[in-house]
Amino acid sequence: MPDPFDPRPLLDGLTVSVDIDVLIGQFPDRPGPSGDPAAVRAMLTDRGVTGAAVADLRAALFDLGSPAPFPGGIAVGTLDLRDPIGSATHLEGLISAGIRAIRFFPDEQGVQPDFPAVRHLARLAADAGLILLSGGDVRRFWRPYAGLDATVVFLDTHFYHLGDFLLVAADEPGFHTSTRLLTSPDGLEQVTARVGAQRLLFGSRAPFYEPYVPLLRLATSALSADEKRLVAGGNAGRLLGVTG
Amino acid sequence: MIIDVHAHWGPWFFTGLDTSNLTVMDRYGIDLAIVSATEAVTYDPAAGNRALARFLATAPDRLLGYVTVHPRRLDEAERDLREFLPTRRFVGAKIHTDYTGSPIKSPQVRDALTMLADLDCPTLVHTWDTSVLDLAQHCADLPRLRAIAGHMAAGGYRHAIAAARSCDRLYLEPSWSHGLAGRMDEVLAAVDPRQLLLGTDATLIDPAATFGILAAARPTPETAERIAWRNAADLFRCIE
Repeated sequence: MPDPFDPRPLLDGLTVSVDIDVLIGQFPDRPGPSGDPAAVRAMLTDRGVTGAAVADLRAALFDLGSPAPFPGGIAVGTLDLRDPIGSATHLEGLISAGIRAIRFFPDEQGVQPDFPAVRHLARLAADAGLILLSGGDVRRFWRPYAGLDATVVFLDTHFYHLGDFLLVAADEPGFHTSTRLLTSPDGLEQVTARVGAQRLLFGSRAPFYEPYVPLLRLATSALSADEKRLVAGGNAGRLLGVTG
Repeated sequence: MIIDVHAHWGPWFFTGLDTSNLTVMDRYGIDLAIVSATEAVTYDPAAGNRALARFLATAPDRLLGYVTVHPRRLDEAERDLREFLPTRRFVGAKIHTDYTGSPIKSPQVRDALTMLADLDCPTLVHTWDTSVLDLAQHCADLPRLRAIAGHMAAGGYRHAIAAARSCDRLYLEPSWSHGLAGRMDEVLAAVDPRQLLLGTDATLIDPAATFGILAAARPTPETAERIAWRNAADLFRCIE
């Protein structure tokens, strides 16, 4: 009997040139992978993911420091929303270092969308032309980013909330979404039909989430081959200024 | 052969969910799905069960039904079970604890499960976090009960492991919109493969969520076959 869970026939050769949502480091409050960069790289390679935008949980949870090295990856800067004054200074250093994207961890840092730090730091990042990768519930976190001419990738868009994302994305051409939690049978197709496949970026949150899930969803979707290539790294490459 | 023991038929209230059962099944090579009516689960069990019965009367035989049971409307539930189970297009019962406001440990759910055990009716129960332990306790208390822990408790999967290890009539299926890495590996390492089933929660959730975590977990061929269909065929006696 053929392996019913062999992903290869379903993937049909689909690979990902940029995963927009990869983490190294660990969560101290939960079991899970160590987030060792070599292990994360091995996981991605096994799933056919060749490039990644990588943020460091140590920076998000403890010490901003410098983005941790991740061979072959695109370093993502981290700001601490609990310290908007220090983070503004840190952001200047990230810009000087040539960082193209920063990531907000509002859930992990216990920050609500109406806290002044969120909009303040988002405005600074947008003014500097950085890509903002944002966690948090899109139904609430759209607001501090609206009207800033910001390029934002919402990393936690669940298909339950897809209608709200589509509403705000129609008004904000810089709003994008990760595919990680668009795990309904129709989510990717809905985004493509209403605001275009250029707004979708493959994201997995490896190693804490399984990359095969969004990968299989994309592979089996009704998107065209060109649209799948955009989602699988073309869009991320365009936003981050790298070739996928 | 692949059997999906956790699927739904009917419309959803979230944006843009309108892909048909057979389309979703065909994406992943699912041969047979056991569905409950979304109307029955989320609003009106009696009306939803009847709508599903009418649909199944002319639907392809790749779809079988669950009778949805509202634990606080047991008279209606017993009537529906006695009407629809003998048709053999319905092969089990579904209880959703949240939509019915009926915690698993409530006396109403206990009464419902007692009735279903007496009918020898396999029952899919929505479980989340620690509630799967309450379902295991019902299995221990009701020797004829055969229950499936829907979502295998989602983020509470370690409780699902403990629950399954406490009773061999408690089955686990892994559907969840969050594809947490390593979750299925832990289940495979700790739970008797005879208690594992394939569930997707389609057409709410795409089967990618379940197939993705199984692809990563790489069960042995024997276990994969058990998960894909053999255990379900034995539990539901749905393969002639």
